[in-house]
Amino acid sequence: MTTSVVVDRLDERRPGPGDTFGGVGHPGARLLAGRPAYDGTETLAQHLDRLGIVPPPRRGAGLVDAVHDSGLGGRGGAGFPMAEKMEAAARAPGPRLVVVNASESEPASHKDRVLVHLRPHLVLDGAALAAEALSADEIVVQLHRGDPAGYGALSAAIAERTAARLDRVPVHLSVGPDRFVAGESSAVVAFLEGRPAQPRPGPRAAVSGVHGCPTLVQNAETLAHVALIARFGPDWFRAAGTPGSPGSVLVTLAGDVERPGTVLEVWGATTIGRLLVSCSRSGHATIAEIGPVPGAAVLMGGYAGAWADMARVWELPLAHDELCRAGVPLGCGLVGVLSPDGCGLVETARLLTYLATESSGQCGPCAFGLPDLAAQATALATTRVSRSAVRRLYHRTASIAGRGACSHPDGAVRLLESALETFAGDVRYHLRHGPCAGARNGVTFPVPRSSEEWR
Amino acid sequence: MAVTMRLVVDFTRCRGHGICTVLFAERAELDEWGFPVIDPADLDSAPLVRRARRAVVACPRGALSVETSEPR
Repeated sequence: MTTSVVVDRLDERRPGPGDTFGGVGHPGARLLAGRPAYDGTETLAQHLDRLGIVPPPRRGAGLVDAVHDSGLGGRGGAGFPMAEKMEAAARAPGPRLVVVNASESEPASHKDRVLVHLRPHLVLDGAALAAEALSADEIVVQLHRGDPAGYGALSAAIAERTAARLDRVPVHLSVGPDRFVAGESSAVVAFLEGRPAQPRPGPRAAVSGVHGCPTLVQNAETLAHVALIARFGPDWFRAAGTPGSPGSVLVTLAGDVERPGTVLEVWGATTIGRLLVSCSRSGHATIAEIGPVPGAAVLMGGYAGAWADMARVWELPLAHDELCRAGVPLGCGLVGVLSPDGCGLVETARLLTYLATESSGQCGPCAFGLPDLAAQATALATTRVSRSAVRRLYHRTASIAGRGACSHPDGAVRLLESALETFAGDVRYHLRHGPCAGARNGVTFPVPRSSEEWR
Repeated sequence: MAVTMRLVVDFTRCRGHGICTVLFAERAELDEWGFPVIDPADLDSAPLVRRARRAVVACPRGALSVETSEPR
């Protein structure tokens, strides 16, 4: 997995009138507002100079109301309303714990690691405010192994805050295995209990988390938004985004774009099309000139996300609720473009093979079903298979979804089903002629080597 | 307000012994890998609930449970 931090910079962009997205320091940025620091990470002094400390009205119990009014949804993928989670944790008898989930698992997504690297104090502010509101005893920041930039920035930031006696609730860093499902909230809870970082069924962490204590597990970006909502209020927050999905949102660009790994902050009702025009590779002027390229495809929401025809999603805003309804969830905020030379079926087969090796192997339908799906998808992509093999593939997807302790198998199935729909023309070609030329043309979405560890 | 009951599997425990598909064949069958597929429909009669509970007790992995929920 790459550990480099790629951030879009103001001077490298082409900001135009009405631009509603940008990188660090861009006029439209909120989470990424402020000047880019010399070494990337904003210090406590710079942070307080820029934003000041949080005023009392929205500290403590008042925070839950402010978060509720803001309509803030979780930015880890599922978009669960944060206020509901806070209320559930507040109702359950303590002691309570706040976990900052910065263990970004989607291989191509960088937004959380970029955020904790650039603005660690924003994330820690949000965690401290949530902990105060819930009368929590401890804050744990959970990172993946293989994120040294995030670890360095956070440990320095925690030291600065301790020296300044800024927070009432102690903060600890925890580093877990660099695996896909290890960032899932029940897996994070399991890891903090000293068990393998694998998802488990059972009550929500907010009600019964680490050792049975109510545990607010919240994505790093979500908590950074809380730090701003507490300062500027729910109405300010709602001025960005759409009524159904308020606030700005961090996205990571991947695949056939000018600079894969770029993290941008998007707000307003910015459409996928506008984003794609801004990031299209200079060699591929077509997107910028003629809009959605016929037959082009995008990968939305992550490697366990969904493929979609570029033209179909071109006019859709980058809003969680609307993209869910369109069947292309925003997930972790990944927006990937398939190379015109690439083959969507080959990409899908590789991603499925990766997702299969990343199953924690606890649930039979996932442990046996995903390798089976991956093998069949690989056969479809690289050999000439029969029609009945494709029918079998459809049948198999039906017997896997919804049968795991977590949503890992569901994500893999959605990826495959969306591929069979989006690349229906390629499926027909492969059935008739065998692998297409694209099958030999490089890799648009690379996968990391899977770690062997769960602890 | 009616209480609905469903038979559910915890697949982190299930190892595919398949006893549920013998004892409760009308609502449980095996998939291609030997793991049970449970009909998600309500257990809407006393005999059904009885048979479901028998499967719960017989599961050697303790993977089955009858989930009770009140409709909202």
